[in-house]
Amino acid sequence: MKIAVLMKDVPDLVEDLEVEDGALPLDEMSFVPSEWDDQALEEALLIKEEDGADVTAVAVDTGDVDTMLYTALAKGVDRAVKIVGDFSRSLTNRQRAQLLARYCQNERFDLILTGVQAIDDLDGQIAGLVAGLMGIGHASVVRDVHVAQDRVRFVQEYSGGKMAEFDLACPALLGIQAARKPPRYVTIAKVRQVQKSAEIDEVEDSVGETPVVTVRRLYKPESGGHAEMWGDDVETVANHIVAILEEKKLLRG
Amino acid sequence: MTVRTVLMIFTVAMILVSGGLFMRRLATLIRVMKGARPAQRTDRLGARVQSVVEHVLLHRRMFRITYSGLLHYLIFSGFVVLLIDIVETVGEIFFPGFTVGRVLAPLVDIWVLLVALGILMALYNRLVIRPARFHGSDEKDAYLILGLIAAIIVGIVIHDSFFPFVAREVLHVADPVARSHFLGWALSRVWLRLGWTGPTAASIGYAVGYVMDMGVVLAFLAYLPYSKHFHIFAAVPNIFLRNLGPKGALLAQPPEDTMAIRTFNDFTWKDLLDLYTCTECGRCQAVCPAHAAGQPLSPKMVILKLRDALNEQLAAKTVGNADTPPIAGQVISQDELWACTTCGACQEACPVFIEHVPKIVGLRAALLEDGDIEANAQKVLVAWDRQGNSFGQPARKRPAWAKGLDVPIKDARKEPVDWLWFVGDFAALDPRVQRLSQLIARLLHQAGVDFGILYEGEVNAGNEALRIGEYGLFETLAQKNIQALNQAQYQRIFTTDPHSLNALKNEYQKLGFHREVRHYTEAFLELIETGRLTVRPLSMRATYHDPCYLGRWNGIVEAPRRLLERLGVELVEMPRHGVQSFCCGAGGGRIWMEETNITDRPANQRIREAMTLPDVHYFVVACPKDVSMFSASVTAMGVENALRVVDMAELLAVAVGLETAEDAALISS
Repeated sequence: MKIAVLMKDVPDLVEDLEVEDGALPLDEMSFVPSEWDDQALEEALLIKEEDGADVTAVAVDTGDVDTMLYTALAKGVDRAVKIVGDFSRSLTNRQRAQLLARYCQNERFDLILTGVQAIDDLDGQIAGLVAGLMGIGHASVVRDVHVAQDRVRFVQEYSGGKMAEFDLACPALLGIQAARKPPRYVTIAKVRQVQKSAEIDEVEDSVGETPVVTVRRLYKPESGGHAEMWGDDVETVANHIVAILEEKKLLRG
Repeated sequence: MTVRTVLMIFTVAMILVSGGLFMRRLATLIRVMKGARPAQRTDRLGARVQSVVEHVLLHRRMFRITYSGLLHYLIFSGFVVLLIDIVETVGEIFFPGFTVGRVLAPLVDIWVLLVALGILMALYNRLVIRPARFHGSDEKDAYLILGLIAAIIVGIVIHDSFFPFVAREVLHVADPVARSHFLGWALSRVWLRLGWTGPTAASIGYAVGYVMDMGVVLAFLAYLPYSKHFHIFAAVPNIFLRNLGPKGALLAQPPEDTMAIRTFNDFTWKDLLDLYTCTECGRCQAVCPAHAAGQPLSPKMVILKLRDALNEQLAAKTVGNADTPPIAGQVISQDELWACTTCGACQEACPVFIEHVPKIVGLRAALLEDGDIEANAQKVLVAWDRQGNSFGQPARKRPAWAKGLDVPIKDARKEPVDWLWFVGDFAALDPRVQRLSQLIARLLHQAGVDFGILYEGEVNAGNEALRIGEYGLFETLAQKNIQALNQAQYQRIFTTDPHSLNALKNEYQKLGFHREVRHYTEAFLELIETGRLTVRPLSMRATYHDPCYLGRWNGIVEAPRRLLERLGVELVEMPRHGVQSFCCGAGGGRIWMEETNITDRPANQRIREAMTLPDVHYFVVACPKDVSMFSASVTAMGVENALRVVDMAELLAVAVGLETAEDAALISS
């Protein structure tokens, strides 16, 4: 079974996001692997441990993705691939999906896993777009992935704890919600060792024509007419809350 | 054939067989030790000899438990005196007419009585007192050994009692020391009355005594290396080869490849010697905070399980094979390994200087390499790697506590300072401790100290990363700090955090950083003693908790006490204090891990210990983690009114007149 894990890095939300001139200063921000992609990677490694598989980690080179790919190698993927070209951090999902789909189509993977979403892709478009472009089976928000011959089984969870188990023919692409186990830790020493001994394969490509949605304005929430802003003062806020609770007769004196 | 011929043949045969078995076992153990990792333990000869005198001849650590120390001393000294008996007994059979003389002979009888007393005390200890620390030890072996020792001393008296008759009737030599063996002499009066003095009766009686004595001694020789009583041979070298420091350095050298311990070849040879030196006394178990908290860890059982597993592999000739059951996770479970606070109480308690902590951390490193680590601790490792602090806060927030303060704090990276202050994660980022850091800054300002910090240039010191088993991360953090420290200009360096102190002082040496690092209690003591800071004595009673990484690992126990004295604090010591302090439970990465399996938190136990002290309402700490841990305990236990946790900085602030409304209560008390 040939498995690909599509990975990307996203801004580290530990840092406060500043909006400068109507945009995020992407060059000054620090980036970390998207946590859902980390989950997809872990699920792929678990499948590999369970049934044996050849796992490739794939990322589009929109900046420094090497550490993320070396980390994936240190964790146990067989190969790391970086799609290189003239790509900026502001690559759209549509463009990213096109690059990933083209690479995956050539490599003929049986199963492709990626994070269900990312903090800069809350709609979770990547999984659906790549699967659509490739014309293969797709499901998202799934977990508990098991493979059997040329089919894949997985679980989708709905509100109220209801579950559904699915079965899909390969090739297939799944948007992973969570791995069966928390993503494994990899020691700094192991990553360093891999950086010395392993190499990241590079595949060249370029962005084709895609419809692009442009950002007109990026701004923080503004106080409108429908909400009363209480400000930052703890005392004032507390007094307001108490007053409301009293008004609603939720406080006993 | 006379009794002499029979016993000579018996003795030679026993020496050959027992000696052969002993040497074979010894050769096996030396071989496995040779295959292990290196350790430099033969430097500083004078200090090593001194430590043998202190801890073997004088039994210093043994006497920390008076009763056990005494009974052990009686039996131990008996083994020394036994040598006189062996020389005499073998001598009188092999060289008729040989004698040890009238001075040495009675010593044997005196020690027969003392050893007998020791055995009785040991039996009383095991049967009646039954200390909990023996739980898990091989008590059968203990009884067997006590029985064998009893057989030897009874044998001595028996053969001594028959020897006068054997000497006269069989060997035809004089026995000038017959009366000197007063116990044997008294027993010989019985044989006279019974008429068992002829050549045959005396020969049989003597042979019985001889076999009970020499036979058991030689059988002992063969059995010992397979038993916990191998410590008779291993203890002296193990004490001689102990770690002479720096004590707080977990690793003396950077690991060649990895610090992970996967097979027995990955331990150092000294680690393996430790396994065979353990006497199963359980003193480590009795002082272990994880064990006391109800967790599955016992330092004693770690050593015993490792020893048993090694013995199995020695028997199966599989030592060093990668396909043997994993040590980390199987021989010693994950829960045991992650329960350790690395407080070092076990090592401090061990009478034969076994080092438990490096073994546990090496095994943790193996788990970590396989990606097995407790989820919360994993988050902290990632946070250290990305942000340089355990709080997952952006690096630029590190100096936030210093903003808006009415005293200026220099940036030591930009301008020279006299004192450089290494702040540490908790002091910089924990809201409960930030207040104390601000107090320290104001105190330094008051004393006119020209000081500064590294601002964003400082990252976590890496002490806990190393103790979680993540050497690479420790190294990364340490190198960042060392780079910042090398760029800064300063005369002296101090820290408010004992964990940082330990890393900077002991662990950074192997990365090329050699500066004297002081704890703030030492620094402020100096400021007061040199008159730079004037204090108004507080006149209060308090107890003081020694942080593990300050007291035990770095021996700084006097400075905080002298500082308390200077501040006018009447110190009431808890039963466990100084280097024998009891851990708060936070060390070794435990502070970030889930408290599963914990039935009684170590910090709560410590607070209860303090509350047994008469009229003590203040619990003084000198470690930011202690502020968090003990404040939480006092609150959870609902005893805030009975015992208040105060940091040394707060006492200093009140004593020099920087008191805040909250702290003013300390004076009125």
